[in-house]
Amino acid sequence: MPKYELILLKNMMQPGYTGSLQEYERAGGYQALRKVVGKVPPTEVTMAVMKSGLRGRGGAGFPTGVKWGFLPKDYQGPRYLCCNADESEPGTFKDRQLMERDPHQLLEGIVLACYAIGAESAYIYIRGELVLAAKILEQAIAEAQAAGYIGANILGTGITANVWVHRGAGAYICGEETALLESLEGKRGLPRFKPPFPATNGLYNKPTVVNNVETLANLPHIIGRGPEWFASIGSPPKSTGTRVFCVSGHVKRPGNYEVPMGVTFRELIYEHAGGMRSDKPLKAFIPGGASAPFLTSDHLDVKLDFESVAAAGSMLGSGGVTVMEEGTPMVWAALRLMEFFYHESCGKCSPCREGSSWLVQTMRRIVAKRGQMEDLETLVDLCKNIEGRTVCAFGEAEVAPIMSTLKYWRSEYVTLIQEAEAANLIRLEPTVARH
Amino acid sequence: MANQTTETVRLMIDGISISVPKGTLVIEAARQAGVMIPHFCYHPKLKPDANCRMCLVEIERVRKLQTSCSTVATEGMAVRTATTVVNDAHKSVLEFILANHPLDCPVCDQGGRCDLQDFSHQYTATSRFAETKRIFQKEYFSPLIETQMNRCVQCLRCVRYCDEVMDVKALAPIGRGTMTEIKSFGNHPLDCEFCGGCVQICPVGAITSRLSMYEYRPWMLKRADTICTFCGDGCQITVQTKDQELIEVNSAHSGGRNNGDLCARGYFGFHAASHPDRVTHPLIRRNGTLVEATWEEALLFVAEQTNRIKQAHGPQAFGGLISGRCTNEELYLFQKFMRLTIGTNNLDSSARYGHVNGVQAMRRVQGTHRWTVTFEDIVQADVLLLVGTNITEANPITGLKVKEAVKKQEATLLTIEALQPAVGTISNITNLSKQHLCVAPSQFGAAVLGLLKAVIEGDHVDPGIRQRASDYVSALSHAVRQIAWEDLAVSTGISSDSFAQMAASVVRGRRVVVLAGQILLRSQGGYGMCLNLLDLLLLSGKLTSPGCGFAPLAEENNDQGAVEMGAVAELLPGALDLTDQDSRDRMARAWKEELPLVPGGTLIEMVDRASAGIIKSLFVVGENPVGSLPSQIRAKEALSKLDLLVCQELFLTETAALAHVVLPAASAMEKAGTFTNTEGHAQAVRPAIDPVGDSRPDWEILSAFSVFLGAPLEYGEAKEILKEIRSVIPGYGSLGPSPIAPTADPSAIDRYVTEGYRHDVAIRYTLPPRAVRQEGTVQLGLVQSLFHSGKFSTHSKGLLQIEPSAFLQMNPVDAARFALGSGDRVRLSNNRGQFITTVKVLERVPEGLAWLPDHFAQEALRLFDCVIDPDTKVPSFRTATVSVLKAT
Amino acid sequence: MLKDKYQQEIDELLSRYPVKRSALIPLLYLAQRDEGFVSEGAMKEIAGLLHLTPPQVYETATFYTMINLKPVGKFHLQVCKSLMCALAGSDTVIGWVKTKLGIGPGETTTDGLFTLSAVECLAACGTAPMMQVNDDYYERLTEDTFDRILADLKKDGSCSLKTGPFMWPEPAPAKPGA
Repeated sequence: MPKYELILLKNMMQPGYTGSLQEYERAGGYQALRKVVGKVPPTEVTMAVMKSGLRGRGGAGFPTGVKWGFLPKDYQGPRYLCCNADESEPGTFKDRQLMERDPHQLLEGIVLACYAIGAESAYIYIRGELVLAAKILEQAIAEAQAAGYIGANILGTGITANVWVHRGAGAYICGEETALLESLEGKRGLPRFKPPFPATNGLYNKPTVVNNVETLANLPHIIGRGPEWFASIGSPPKSTGTRVFCVSGHVKRPGNYEVPMGVTFRELIYEHAGGMRSDKPLKAFIPGGASAPFLTSDHLDVKLDFESVAAAGSMLGSGGVTVMEEGTPMVWAALRLMEFFYHESCGKCSPCREGSSWLVQTMRRIVAKRGQMEDLETLVDLCKNIEGRTVCAFGEAEVAPIMSTLKYWRSEYVTLIQEAEAANLIRLEPTVARH
Repeated sequence: MANQTTETVRLMIDGISISVPKGTLVIEAARQAGVMIPHFCYHPKLKPDANCRMCLVEIERVRKLQTSCSTVATEGMAVRTATTVVNDAHKSVLEFILANHPLDCPVCDQGGRCDLQDFSHQYTATSRFAETKRIFQKEYFSPLIETQMNRCVQCLRCVRYCDEVMDVKALAPIGRGTMTEIKSFGNHPLDCEFCGGCVQICPVGAITSRLSMYEYRPWMLKRADTICTFCGDGCQITVQTKDQELIEVNSAHSGGRNNGDLCARGYFGFHAASHPDRVTHPLIRRNGTLVEATWEEALLFVAEQTNRIKQAHGPQAFGGLISGRCTNEELYLFQKFMRLTIGTNNLDSSARYGHVNGVQAMRRVQGTHRWTVTFEDIVQADVLLLVGTNITEANPITGLKVKEAVKKQEATLLTIEALQPAVGTISNITNLSKQHLCVAPSQFGAAVLGLLKAVIEGDHVDPGIRQRASDYVSALSHAVRQIAWEDLAVSTGISSDSFAQMAASVVRGRRVVVLAGQILLRSQGGYGMCLNLLDLLLLSGKLTSPGCGFAPLAEENNDQGAVEMGAVAELLPGALDLTDQDSRDRMARAWKEELPLVPGGTLIEMVDRASAGIIKSLFVVGENPVGSLPSQIRAKEALSKLDLLVCQELFLTETAALAHVVLPAASAMEKAGTFTNTEGHAQAVRPAIDPVGDSRPDWEILSAFSVFLGAPLEYGEAKEILKEIRSVIPGYGSLGPSPIAPTADPSAIDRYVTEGYRHDVAIRYTLPPRAVRQEGTVQLGLVQSLFHSGKFSTHSKGLLQIEPSAFLQMNPVDAARFALGSGDRVRLSNNRGQFITTVKVLERVPEGLAWLPDHFAQEALRLFDCVIDPDTKVPSFRTATVSVLKAT
Repeated sequence: MLKDKYQQEIDELLSRYPVKRSALIPLLYLAQRDEGFVSEGAMKEIAGLLHLTPPQVYETATFYTMINLKPVGKFHLQVCKSLMCALAGSDTVIGWVKTKLGIGPGETTTDGLFTLSAVECLAACGTAPMMQVNDDYYERLTEDTFDRILADLKKDGSCSLKTGPFMWPEPAPAKPGA
């Protein structure tokens, strides 16, 4: 039996649960929707979400109710809800499970959100590779439509909420909410500069809310059991509710674990995920997806909530916890992530576009033992010159692995370079002339 | 772009306090404060994209550096652009941008005017980049436009310009991340409007002109700001030359009426002037052939012959034709020469081909010979109605104003065009229409009547006009009642609902501008349609409202000037009536000589009189009636009968080939003067090179004639003529940055609505005849191509690269019907003759129509019927029904 | 022409969005399903359907890694190489492909059956190493399962080892069998 009460994974943990509409209803599904639609004013639903303290589960952790509150009150035209199901942050695989195993939980959340913000159309922007999840969601939408939970006249209230699945086509950046909107508009997934924010100028330049799958999946529970109940879970007031943490890397039992926010990394890794794979000591872990700076074994007692992880110099991010054992080469690990960011940089702004190609080449050189001591200073400079100067948060993300590994394991860089220097006693000038 | 209002905000930039309109971007506010913030991706014409990150600044109380190109100035904001932090940020962004740049400045045409070079210099940029540089393989070469993607800084200005300003969308960023490359489609060369906008807007050497590749360094070039001659829009161009060689043309941002935007003709057409076929020496016909002569021989010959003919037959045996491509000074001097030195009003200009229709309609209804609106009014209009313009091809820069109005200011665009909305390689204005009525040119008149009927019967008539001119309103109401909706539907294919919807849109507008283009102006009944469109404005109460007006578009660069200079038979300088005694007296006083009394013959009348042997001698300045008029006018036969045909020409045209004397004229690249654009704005023309060979400006030649004829009209330079023009037409051509449009004359309107409208109402308010199109035929139309302008541009090597020869544009459905595909040869024929050309299948051509660009249509002219307007004497020969057969 | 073959599906896709261009990626998928990749002809046709210029279609198509502008093998092996999979031995999987099929990343077997791509994270880090073959995920790969997948694909065109609906770890009383 799990140590904590499960909320999001509760249904699917029941043996034989397939996630069909019938089973979801049997488990109490769509009761929250029945409770509010056409009965409770939408603004009260928003208020409840604000009160619950629910924060975005996609990475940035922005309070969901507050985000909804930014929509213009008096705007008459269409509004949109976009469900961000572009789960692409390396280390994260929770949304996939939430969608494939309990699609109606998400759909109920989506319809509740539509009701609260007055959106008649919702698009689930799902990463293109998740073909099965997209199919499951489309089937679930058809079921829910037939049952009157989705469509032109929800539960006979005259309220409209249509939901469509829109598949991405392979671009990490589309997880960034404005890039997602561009992509949904059929364009290249390039982030927009802000302001204006999607709340006022979103999809098709209309007021839009973009929420993550896990965020939306929490709504039926918040509405069903009340915001106060939700706000009492986790480490209130700022980190309420549970999170589905995705544990990967060198652990015995990798996978998704739903725990209240505020448990320690030690508990997550050593209790829930079964501890280290080969019983080697833990060397490093990434606490919240590839964009989060690495932490060390010294941080195992940090609590898994937004503030504590931030205070430790990283971020809770998307909840992807990747564990590395003693012996993992950290420069190599940073390079692997840098390769990812280089591959995924959209190319819109110069520091990120040029910086990612520069960083990855320098890192490759160091790992290939062709580095020089000056490279370390250049790496730090480049990272600093990218950070805070890009259109979106990708800039901060891509420098995190290098900055944090340089912080904790600088000696590994130095060793590689010293080996390089030893191998090349006669220093060769670089092949490309400097300028 | 943020909406700019009159409200202002005050902010500090580097300690300088400045007040700017609300909505101004920080980068623009800084510019106004004299602080230049470095940037690549920002351009005032484009929506901010904030991608280059070069323009970062510190803003008080904001944690991170902000891009000044995307930050709107707010009250009390304090911006710092020169702190160490900002300077370091600029340096670091530059280091990134420079990282993959090939540093091939020695072979880059942008060298010397490159933003990347300048900023590198400013920030003494160095780079620690020691990795492998990104290299894009060159996969194709585009005509006229060279792309060197290794130099690209990915600012996307070209892509954004191509979309936001041009609405062409031919360029796109391809790939992702650092491998993003600007391309068109696959490995295919660029196929687009070739406006050159991407070349002009590229801040580095990534996109350059192939016409001038490797030919210069910018500092070697001499520059002359002058006006383009390829249409009536009157774009300012800067011609860059090396000695006598024309190297490049561009146009400074915010320069001229075009705001720095150009079309392919303006940007790539400039070589026409330096074509090797230019006539460079005077030629005299001796024993049937034209042989080289000296200026003195030629002038003497002309003088002797002129005197002889004048003595024998009197001044009415002479006629003159001048091109609307000439300067105002030349047009003015020409009509003065004809009227005084020769003594006849037999004179005309190319404005007769259609422009006169619009001008005469405006004169009659509103008492002006110019638009009452300007380009600014087009941009600020809330409703634009375009009739028969094909504006993006015929008047591309006026077209840009329309695009700007629709895309940036959200104006409602209504179109009545012989065009189908279709996305293609060149822009199509009907793609932007809120409502489009696709109508064949022969039925434009019917569509206009449908609109009028809908305004009147939809009870949209302005109460003011109803009260002031009840007779006029009831006469028009009566007239439209006679037209049945069913007949209108048969003629136009448009339902009464559609007309009602469009009428309602027109009436709802507060700033309504109606543009009539060449297709309408040159059509049969063009004059009547112009009057009816003015009726539309009058009835809906828009004619005299601010920002509203009727705007007929000029085809030639100085058609408007030709009318204003009096270079048409019926008008004196200032577009005054020749028949008006006061006007005649005024001119006589100014010229200190009496004006000839006999009314003059217009273009076709002169040809007819030559044919009848009444006119014995013709002075032709830059005109080519033999090449331009359909063969049924028999211009060649008529002109062959002349005792003296004098041509001042750049090239040996069909007309010049018949001449007794051909005098080499200087092109607009080689002379000074002024042109008056379609808005009625006079602008300075400046020489970029010396006259080619022995050629001389036309005014000099005319002046020399007058001296040899013993009635000297002597001027030292073109400016002296302009001075005289100003004395005759007060304030003419103040040469300011923008025109001051006249307002409609209330007394003229009163005259029109009481009496003036009467005599032809019945005729104008009758449906034009419907052509019965038989199976196997199409309605052939002569159209203007985007890539050429008359025959002059067919001497431009740049434009010939894009469009080298004639072709028939045809709808896919018709093409399939005739089993034709692009590239097939096709024979067009009717009872007048036949013509063989090549087919190009295009979706924008409506079914049942086919288009032939008029500059290559010489041989096809024989297929066309010619109808002369009884009022304005405008010959129209733009449509013909022809059988279509695949030629083998 | 896609229009002739999939008129109904195209109409349905277009009906989902208030702005036509939104249907671009769905239509690119449709074209890819039809031909195995997205050809220039298809891009031109899609441009026509959406009132876009071909460059506008091209710019979007080239941005996304899942849109193949060139033909790929019948089975597109996409092995995740990101850090999380690499920690669990994904480089070894790429090695297996090399030894068993003789192709490296970006290459296709001569019989046109298999194309290998080393791709970035596919959101299956807890079940690494993994690969996607066409639409299907195969997780917790071992050399044995890998061999079976290749054999089944060659033989039947599909393999029962594909995973999902995804859940890991599975509930305590794990269902026996698959």
